[in-house]
Amino acid sequence: SGAVWARGLLSWARPERWLASGSLFPLSCIHTSTSLQKIGKWEKKNRIVYPPQLPGEPRRPAEIYHCRREIKYSNDKMWYLAKLIKGMSIDQALAQLEFSDKKGAKVIKEVLLEAQEMAVRKHNVEFKSNLHIAESQTGRGRYVKRMRCHGKGMFGMMKINRCHYFVKLVEGPPPPPEPPRTGFEQAKEYVQQLRNRTLVHTL
Amino acid sequence: VLVLVRSPLPWLRALLQRSWGRLERGLWPGVFGGQSSPWGPALAVQGPALVPQGINDAGESSGEAPSLLEGVVWMAAPKHRRTIEVNRCRRRNPSKLIEIKRNIDVCPECGNLKQKHVLCGYCYAKVKEETRLIRMEIQKKEGGPFNAPVVETVVLYEGEKPTEKDEGKRIIERARKRPSWFVQN
Repeated sequence: SGAVWARGLLSWARPERWLASGSLFPLSCIHTSTSLQKIGKWEKKNRIVYPPQLPGEPRRPAEIYHCRREIKYSNDKMWYLAKLIKGMSIDQALAQLEFSDKKGAKVIKEVLLEAQEMAVRKHNVEFKSNLHIAESQTGRGRYVKRMRCHGKGMFGMMKINRCHYFVKLVEGPPPPPEPPRTGFEQAKEYVQQLRNRTLVHTL
Repeated sequence: VLVLVRSPLPWLRALLQRSWGRLERGLWPGVFGGQSSPWGPALAVQGPALVPQGINDAGESSGEAPSLLEGVVWMAAPKHRRTIEVNRCRRRNPSKLIEIKRNIDVCPECGNLKQKHVLCGYCYAKVKEETRLIRMEIQKKEGGPFNAPVVETVVLYEGEKPTEKDEGKRIIERARKRPSWFVQN
């Protein structure tokens, strides 16, 4: 009776029961967890395929998504480098990173070079300098808490920070920077707001 | 006012005793918020037992830790949590962002990037490597420490002969073509 009970308990675990009776999937198709674990969303963005463009449409610029995960660097510190890079052409970005003293600069430079290589080989980009950085972001990686020993038997808990870095390269020259808002423009907007006012709850 | 309070922690008890002693001696005028007669009829509150002066001295001499803790009470500490908006304003202020460098040029020799006031990294590495190989040749010739000759040294590459100017000098042979950046004489 124990064996029957065990068999009954494990019967729900048999995968054939989950599949619809009309499906033709063999058991070998079921995903098992590999060393790759989860493929992140940013990596999947390279897989989208657009329908062919119509003859009259302007050419859609190539977009290349690349990232590196679990970099041993702080998220906050990496953010400053990502902010520096945003909106630059790839050559300018590589120049700035080469002479930056930060640890993350070396990592980001490697990521950009890899992305440039990918663009030329796989994404049909003609000139490797004709790329600009449309988006560059950081994310927080898995933190680990560890003990940091001080004197007199005291200790504190420290976090070992890791981060991810995401970059999107787009073909074409970098877009011109937005001109700063002048006082005249702000005044014009204010006057326009005043003119837009209407009378409510009236005839 | 005369009710005994048995606090479990001896340092707390000593602290309360000392504070009470200060109150008694009028050394804390600001405590009652500036009332006219702090010792007039007032609400009876539980307080520590009045002790003679002897225990005060004993309390003070028993340890320095209570006096340190007295100082701790009036240390500066943040009163409210800084919100993420305030934190972001501080962290993302333009003065804290990395400035873009405008002193980057192209090296005319090798074409790599270099800063204007710094030697080109690639060219420097090239020269350093060649110097290392020359030094290895010198080491082979000398065969040990403290054997450096008194005369000058000249480095000759493949197919070069020593000239009249290199009469008394030590010659180091390098088995390669002369590099373009190593000008002879």
